[in-house]
Amino acid sequence: METVEQLVSFLHIQVQLSGGAPWGFTLKGGLEHGEPLIITKIEDGGKVALCEKLKVGDELININGSALYGSRQEALILIKGSYRILKLAVRR
Amino acid sequence: MMTAVESHMTYSNSYTINNETVYMTQEDDWDRDLLLDPAWEKQQRKTFTAWCNSHLRKAGTAIENIEEDFKNGLKLMLLLEVISGERLPKPDKGKMRFHKIANVNKALDFICSKGVKLVSIGAEEITDGNGKMTLGMIWTIILRFAIQDISVEETSAKEGLLLWCQRKTAPYRNVNVQNFHISWKDGLALCALIHRHRPDLIDYSKLRKDDPIGNLNTAFEVAEKFLDIPKMLDAEDIVNTPKPDEKAIMTYVSCFYHAFAGAEQAETAANRICKVLAVNQENEKLMEEYEKLASELLEWIRRTIPWLENRTAEQTMRAMQQKLEDFRDYRRIHKPPRVQEKCQLEINFNTLQTKLRLSNRPAFMPSEGKMVSDIANAWKGLEGVEKGYEEWLLTEIRRLERLDHLAEKFKQKCSMHESWTGGKEELLSQKDYESASLMEIRALMRKHEAFESDLAAHQDRVEQIAAIAQELNELDYHDAASVNARCQGICDQWDNLGTLTQKRRDALERVEKLWETIDQLYLEFAKRAAPFNNWMDGAMEDLQDMFIVHSIEEIQSLITAHDQFKATLPEADKERMATMGIHNEILKIAQTYGIKLSGINPYTNLSPQDISSKWDAVKHLVPLRDQMLQEEVARQQANERLRRQFAAQANIIGPWIQTKMEEISHVSVDIAGSLEEQMNSLKQYEGNIINYKSNIDKLEGDHQLSQESLIFDNKHTNYTMEHVRVGWEQLLTTIARTINEVENQILTRDAKGISQEQLNEFRASFNHFDRKRNGMMDPDDFRACLISMGYDLGEVEFARIMTLVDPNNTGVVTFQAFIDFMTRETAETDTAEQVMASFKILASDKNYITVDELRRELPPDQAEYCISRMTRYIGGDGATGALDYISFSSALYGESDL
Repeated sequence: METVEQLVSFLHIQVQLSGGAPWGFTLKGGLEHGEPLIITKIEDGGKVALCEKLKVGDELININGSALYGSRQEALILIKGSYRILKLAVRR
Repeated sequence: MMTAVESHMTYSNSYTINNETVYMTQEDDWDRDLLLDPAWEKQQRKTFTAWCNSHLRKAGTAIENIEEDFKNGLKLMLLLEVISGERLPKPDKGKMRFHKIANVNKALDFICSKGVKLVSIGAEEITDGNGKMTLGMIWTIILRFAIQDISVEETSAKEGLLLWCQRKTAPYRNVNVQNFHISWKDGLALCALIHRHRPDLIDYSKLRKDDPIGNLNTAFEVAEKFLDIPKMLDAEDIVNTPKPDEKAIMTYVSCFYHAFAGAEQAETAANRICKVLAVNQENEKLMEEYEKLASELLEWIRRTIPWLENRTAEQTMRAMQQKLEDFRDYRRIHKPPRVQEKCQLEINFNTLQTKLRLSNRPAFMPSEGKMVSDIANAWKGLEGVEKGYEEWLLTEIRRLERLDHLAEKFKQKCSMHESWTGGKEELLSQKDYESASLMEIRALMRKHEAFESDLAAHQDRVEQIAAIAQELNELDYHDAASVNARCQGICDQWDNLGTLTQKRRDALERVEKLWETIDQLYLEFAKRAAPFNNWMDGAMEDLQDMFIVHSIEEIQSLITAHDQFKATLPEADKERMATMGIHNEILKIAQTYGIKLSGINPYTNLSPQDISSKWDAVKHLVPLRDQMLQEEVARQQANERLRRQFAAQANIIGPWIQTKMEEISHVSVDIAGSLEEQMNSLKQYEGNIINYKSNIDKLEGDHQLSQESLIFDNKHTNYTMEHVRVGWEQLLTTIARTINEVENQILTRDAKGISQEQLNEFRASFNHFDRKRNGMMDPDDFRACLISMGYDLGEVEFARIMTLVDPNNTGVVTFQAFIDFMTRETAETDTAEQVMASFKILASDKNYITVDELRRELPPDQAEYCISRMTRYIGGDGATGALDYISFSSALYGESDL
């Protein structure tokens, strides 16, 4: 269940990946499961790993400028829809 | 001789002069003359003879020889008589010597009597013919009678004669008379003398000094011819003698004197006469003047007195003041000259009298009535009248002043009063109350009351005016007529005002009463019209009331109400008539008494028209309402039919659904037969249900009709369409779910390898703890269940398990979830990788799977599930229709690999 946003100061990080799928990370959770969208795995050598900005445990909040409302389906669609360039915004 | 002349000159002009001195002179002369020059003697003789003859010829005689002819004295006496103009004593007639001497003596006496002292002249010598003595005597006579009485200015005798000659010859420059001898030698003196008096006789300019004889002769000629002076001298004698005889010259010249001076004397005498006459005339003039002046004055007095006695009063102060002014003018301008005249008259009179007295004339007696006393009396009378007049004037003026003052007062009072009354009659005659409202009339009434008291206050003013008019009449005011007219006018108007005031009061009172009545009626109308209007408004509302009825009972009750309402209409109509009746009464009163209604009812805005029109509207609405209600009845009945129809159906369908629900739940709950058997049964049910759909549809149709007819309730059935729908959907859902459950159970069984018996066990446990028998367990049930199975869990553990069992936090545990949980412990857990591996196998080791492969390998439902859920595979090696099973798999497990 999406909890009420706590008054916790989040660190926001933005990343721009290019090159196309696979991007090299695993996304877990989502509104369907009552969990936040979290990056649970980062593949070594993958594009995410190479950019060295994202870490395991980061919550995905924005894809390609679109703020997410939490549904994994939505996220998947947005990510899959990115062809060459993928812009991600996370918070931790 | 000169000294004698000088001393002589000091005496006055009168011929009664002191002769003593003359005496002496003559004696001296005579003494000297005794030493007579023979030439002179000759001259004298000639001259004296001529002279005597010039006188004697008047007596008609003459002498030839001066010595001889006077011897007897007769001619001498005659001469004296002629010269003096007086009678001598009678001459003696005798021829005797003594007679002659006596006569001569008479003559000599006469001469003596004339104041001439004859010395050394005796009568005897004369008688004896003594030439010298005779000449001397003649000279004495000449001197005495011709020269002595010459008086020129204040000089007389010889000096006088000389002066006379000098005076007369003064204008002639070539003549210079200084003496009686040499000065006369050139003859110019004589000519000048003649020319002076009678310029027509000699042309003096032609005379020349160097022709003395001519001149002399001219003079002698002219004198003899024209002046009646006989020649007494000889031109040659005079010219040839160095110093001509003075006496002769004097004698001759004296003739000239007498000739001219006679004229002069005549002139003088005439002058004297003139003077006397003038004095007389003057006196007469003065008398005339006096008379005239006196007449004038008396006339003026006579004229003036009546004017002053006139006591006719003038009308106006102005006129009287004019009179006073005239009087003042009279006193200041007109009278003073007359006073002066009178004074003058007196003076003149006195002067005249004095003059007359002094000049020995009789006193002046003015004519009758013009006497001084008359004038004085008249004057006194004048002054008396004056005084009376002045007094009278002042009295009159005072009287007029008073009258004027009164008249002015009267005018003022009248004016003030008139200005107050001005317009009041019009005001009182106004009919303003005819179209006024009650309030206005009351105000008018109050105003009128105020006016009435004002009127009363003015009463005494009118009386004052009348009093003054009366007084003016008594005092005989000149314009009493107009005063009376005005007073009368005012009094008449006053009466009129009183009458009009009373009339107005009556009218106002009357109108007020009427208006009060009308006002009352207005109020009643208002009181009745308002509630009636309200009632009508309410009725109209009710009649137009949009009703929503849902049952026949409801519409029936409305109809009943409406009928009840209709029953009240007659009553209402009566009320309406009554109300309108009030209004008609108002109109009637107004018409009868001629009151103009403003048409406004102060108590209400409702007009009779409003009431009437509203009533008509109400009446009009009633049948409409009837119609509406009847229509509604029909509609309700139709609805009722629909309801019954629906109800009939619903009452069948409802229970059927319920039955089916129970049956289905039983099937799933009951542990009877295998899952497949259950499945079949359920499928049968499903078929039934599907077949039954048409009923639902039909019901839906009925329901729609009901809804279209706005039927919202149905007491014939407890089942609403929603119930049925819900029930139906529940049924569908239930059957589907139950089937699905069974399918899942089958799957689970197959997947987990659970036997039927196990499954039945699970089922029994679940049912046991499913206390509510709804195919679900709440957490307490579940917990109890776990405990019964030997799982003694703490809170935390239990919570974890709950999250596993109920990840969506629905609060219930489904049988499937229960089974999952139960079997999870025993069976292998699949992971996303495993699923992915499975898919890979199915996909023949590709990274994607095709739709066909899914359909081929999986049961149709799951295949479709996968097809619909899987995203398109993105990758270069993907064909069309390639699906991404990898993301799908991780997504199943909550993970997506991207």
